[in-house]
Amino acid sequence: MLRVEHLEAGYGDVPVLKDISLNVAASETVAIIGPNGAGKSTLVAALCGLVQPRAGRILHREAEVTRMPAHQRARRGLGVVLEGRHLFGELTLRQNLTLAAAHARADAGAKPKIEDAIAEVLELFPFMRERLNDAVELMSGGEQQMVALARALLLRPEVLMLDEPSTGLAPLVVKQIMSTIGVLRSRGMSIILVEQNVALAAEVADRAYVLSVGRVVHEVAKGEWPRFLADDSLVKAYLGG
Amino acid sequence: MTGGLLLQSILTGLTNGFVYGLVGLGLAAIFRGTRIVNAMQGDFSLIGGIAAVLLLEKLQWPLAAAMAAAVLLGALAGWLVELILVRPLRKRGGTEDSYLLLTLGIAFAVSALVLYFVGRDSHALPGIGGEGIIVVGDAAIRVHSVWLIAIGLAVMLLLRLFFTRTTVGLSMMAAAIDAEGAATTGIDVALMRTLTFVLGGLVGALAGVLVGPLVTVHYEMGLLLTLKGFAAAILGGLSNPMGAIVGGITLGLVESIAIVTVSSGYKDVIAMTILIIIMIVMPQGLLGRKLRRGG
Repeated sequence: MLRVEHLEAGYGDVPVLKDISLNVAASETVAIIGPNGAGKSTLVAALCGLVQPRAGRILHREAEVTRMPAHQRARRGLGVVLEGRHLFGELTLRQNLTLAAAHARADAGAKPKIEDAIAEVLELFPFMRERLNDAVELMSGGEQQMVALARALLLRPEVLMLDEPSTGLAPLVVKQIMSTIGVLRSRGMSIILVEQNVALAAEVADRAYVLSVGRVVHEVAKGEWPRFLADDSLVKAYLGG
Repeated sequence: MTGGLLLQSILTGLTNGFVYGLVGLGLAAIFRGTRIVNAMQGDFSLIGGIAAVLLLEKLQWPLAAAMAAAVLLGALAGWLVELILVRPLRKRGGTEDSYLLLTLGIAFAVSALVLYFVGRDSHALPGIGGEGIIVVGDAAIRVHSVWLIAIGLAVMLLLRLFFTRTTVGLSMMAAAIDAEGAATTGIDVALMRTLTFVLGGLVGALAGVLVGPLVTVHYEMGLLLTLKGFAAAILGGLSNPMGAIVGGITLGLVESIAIVTVSSGYKDVIAMTILIIIMIVMPQGLLGRKLRRGG
């Protein structure tokens, strides 16, 4: 579904990502874990088009998207919930959701009507039904995280990237978000979960790539989570835990 | 001051206020959409006004057609300014002060071009409804002024609907609020910024063709209108384009009442003093919003 080959990216003259290669299959959940400053968020920014790679290739459904602008990637099925959410705070919840539904991927069957698409997403987040006319900036951090997730889902993504969705949120909200990720997983969506909390990542991800100083330094293969988590030396070496 | 004189000053103030408000509306829309303080907003009015004059005088177009074409030319000017000058500067990491300098430079260039090609003469545009006057009690207002106020109100309402009800308007707002959030929601942020300038050019040129029959159109009118429009937009709250109309009306009324109560020579001093007081008391402007953030 998504393949990255020898990707290099950074900001200005500062290189951040060095020779990153990874792949995410259809219906697979892959975690990107690593300590602060490992380049996890830069990887997400490069995958969704906010940072232009200096070298390497990004392929979505075997088509190269390396130089494609962010808005076109979003419309072809690469959805993202960025760290910090990046919602349109002054706009209402309905307006935030409408904008996403209006720009949804249209290449897989008929695009549903905006109202129908919103109604479908509200089934996942029932609390939003009462808040549709509220400005998003008035919502709590946890609610805003759900809105960011709902907005990304309305784009009908094939691959959903989540950058640190649990950061700064109460345990109950984190539980709700992880449960939603579980539902999306069961529906067959490909998910890339960037997460500093390794235990949390292990709960939902099939596999993981460990990033350190801009490089993939370890891969946790399917079924290897228990061994990885049990091996203190591995966790400490890669995650500084 | 007699009741008739007060009414007359209110009608004059309203007319001028809507002109300032329309210029301010374009300025605030561009600021809202791109965070650029557009020092050439009044020059969109100059482009609109002078284009209407040339189409009427040189090509003998009917008034309505000349005005419509001039407004579209303003939109085209907005598109070209964004595409040829603003966008390249943005790609090279332009900052707020570099945009201000750029648009100020364009303002002087437009003024110089009009001086070179059209000359320093002042030109009067015929009003909508000719020279007709409507008598209101002891006061009078030109039919054109009534049209100006009606068009100003209609533009304000239409823009409000545009920004809150249409996908393009909402996308423009979204691109302005959070460019990264907008891009990852499928919104073409660069296109939205271009459209913002197109809108600013259109509204600015509309102000130009509407003010043309009330004052004369000449090569220096751009900067004067920019200053008044800027005051209107700041007063109304720069973050709220609709506030510019309210700010413009306030400015127009204060000026007009100052003329009849003190002296026309002191109108700007009095108007600006009152504006300073309002800004001290309400720093966000009359309709400006305080930033709120969820926890």
